[in-house]
Amino acid sequence: MGSMRTRNLIAAIILLAICAGYGYLTANLPSRAIENSTQPSFFPWIVTIILSVLSLSLLVQAFLPMADNGATEKSKIPPRRGLIGLVIFVVYLVALPYAGFVIANIPLFAALMMLYGERRPVWITGGSTIISLAIFFLFREIFQIRLPAGILDGII
Amino acid sequence: MNPDIIDGFYQATQLQTILATSAGCFTGLVVGMIPGLTISTGIIIVLPLTFVLPPDISIALLLGLYVSGMTGGSFSAILLNIPGTPSASATALDGHPLAASGDAGRALGIAITASFLGGLFSFLCLYFIAPVLADIALKFQSPDLFSLVFFGLTIICSFAAKSLVKGLMSAAIGLLIVTIGQDPMVGTARFTFGQINLISGIHFLTALIGLFAIPQLVDNFADKMKKKSATGTTKNITRVLPRLSDLKAIKLPVSIGAPIGSFLGILPGAGGPIAAFISYDYAKKFSRKPEEFGKGAPQGIAAPEAANNAVTGGALVPMMTLGIPGDPVTAILIGALLIHGLAPGPLLFIERGDFAYGIIFSFFWANIFNIIIALIGLRYLVKVLSIPRTLLMPTIAILCVIGSYALRNNFFDVYVMFGFGLLGLIMRWLDMPVVPLLLALVLGRQLEEHLRVSLISSQNDVTIFFTSPFSLFFLCLAAASVVWSFYAEKKPRNKEKQTETKP
Repeated sequence: MGSMRTRNLIAAIILLAICAGYGYLTANLPSRAIENSTQPSFFPWIVTIILSVLSLSLLVQAFLPMADNGATEKSKIPPRRGLIGLVIFVVYLVALPYAGFVIANIPLFAALMMLYGERRPVWITGGSTIISLAIFFLFREIFQIRLPAGILDGII
Repeated sequence: MNPDIIDGFYQATQLQTILATSAGCFTGLVVGMIPGLTISTGIIIVLPLTFVLPPDISIALLLGLYVSGMTGGSFSAILLNIPGTPSASATALDGHPLAASGDAGRALGIAITASFLGGLFSFLCLYFIAPVLADIALKFQSPDLFSLVFFGLTIICSFAAKSLVKGLMSAAIGLLIVTIGQDPMVGTARFTFGQINLISGIHFLTALIGLFAIPQLVDNFADKMKKKSATGTTKNITRVLPRLSDLKAIKLPVSIGAPIGSFLGILPGAGGPIAAFISYDYAKKFSRKPEEFGKGAPQGIAAPEAANNAVTGGALVPMMTLGIPGDPVTAILIGALLIHGLAPGPLLFIERGDFAYGIIFSFFWANIFNIIIALIGLRYLVKVLSIPRTLLMPTIAILCVIGSYALRNNFFDVYVMFGFGLLGLIMRWLDMPVVPLLLALVLGRQLEEHLRVSLISSQNDVTIFFTSPFSLFFLCLAAASVVWSFYAEKKPRNKEKQTETKP
């Protein structure tokens, strides 16, 4: 996925864009007419300046041929598995408020078990159901944390 | 005698507190020995359980986990040559060769004993130094506090980063995130985009769960095929209690490791791995038989183990007296205290002296239960190493989600946690450390508040930071830490260049 120099370049550009956006929002913060008091935008301006200077120095580092940009460590994480994991989590997060913790956690658990290399169907089904339910009841009944049951509300 | 000391001891010796401490020790040993799980992750997993517990019991549980997590890390380092925690890396150098030669029980016994002695030494440091430091810190005014927090931020950046720019950048991103929510002085909503959930800002623990746990879950995808068995070495665990000859042999390395660990623990950012390697190095230098190091020398196990456990007590000193976390774990402990409405800092000793001493004595009990549980339960505890990752990792994922939700009973926090998880992955891709960001999240609000209060009191005269002796002292330290880290960053490069030019 590119050398550290390229990564630094991308990061510096993105951070400079963030600084510009953040600076714009800071400039539009409402001011307060309190005598001798600093404005709400005071600290964000300091952060904007610091982050901009640091982003610029990273940008310069990325362009300087002599600068050490650090070695690029080859990722050991298979990109396909990482991507699948990400998609699973996004689907889970979208479904969670509607489905509730029990219904959403069981398929998440099963999918993650498969991603970590489990292939035995009985283990996947049993493990995901038993552990998900155990965690749910542990938190709800013993630790008294109200976890929404979603579509199972009223049933469990 | 100070009545707070008696109250604190009484509080830490209550049955529930003792049970919580021992439960924390047990969990810590388990979490510490599982490669791929750090103590921070362990604490994150347990944290939601503490929301319903009283603060003294919660902290006792977390302290037990912290102390024993350090010891547990050495188990897998010795048995598998895979350090359970980064702090146990140096232990593997001599621990594994000794275990491989058929003396696994002896190696583990030495590690457990040295951990206990190191922890006990750091308890004494905590007991004697913390109240004195808190007394001094009570004299601090806003400019001093600003400079102190600023120093805390710079030192952590310099220690945590391979690149100074990236370390500082990580801290700056943290400060940017801290500005989301209500302005601490006049209450103006900043960068909330009309989102009501952002009014009170990003919860520090939500960010922490995402930053630490999600990258670790992703990391473990890569370890899918790696299966190293501990069966061979665990069979060799017979006698765990160290022999008298071993105790004599580890006297010197423990006396080296314990003070080094305690001192480096007090310095924010230095942490267990640095203390362990420095102690190992010194133990080797002072040894009569340095050639035995690396081949299973008991001294090579004792020095780093005493050091990394001594770091725990040391790290609690700045956390309790100044409100400055020494490492990520103490940062989480600050978060846990804040959830219970207690702000660590010098006032803790004045307003809740019993609670402050309760923490100190819980730390003492944590060390006692650590050695008891580790020595008695070792043979059963090491079986944890055979728990399939396919069950462990999804469980952690679900606990992270529930932990984020339970903070404010809000799905928004779950999304924020996931967002920070992605940020953590991006930062790893850029080789940018996450610890400075975490520290900025903890300290950022204080930094802004003290800066603005100082400027208001001095009518915008910045010389106030240089006229107060305490403030000037901390600013000088901050400057020294930045200069030192800049020098430290350049030094290895110059060495590399010199080696390259040599024929």
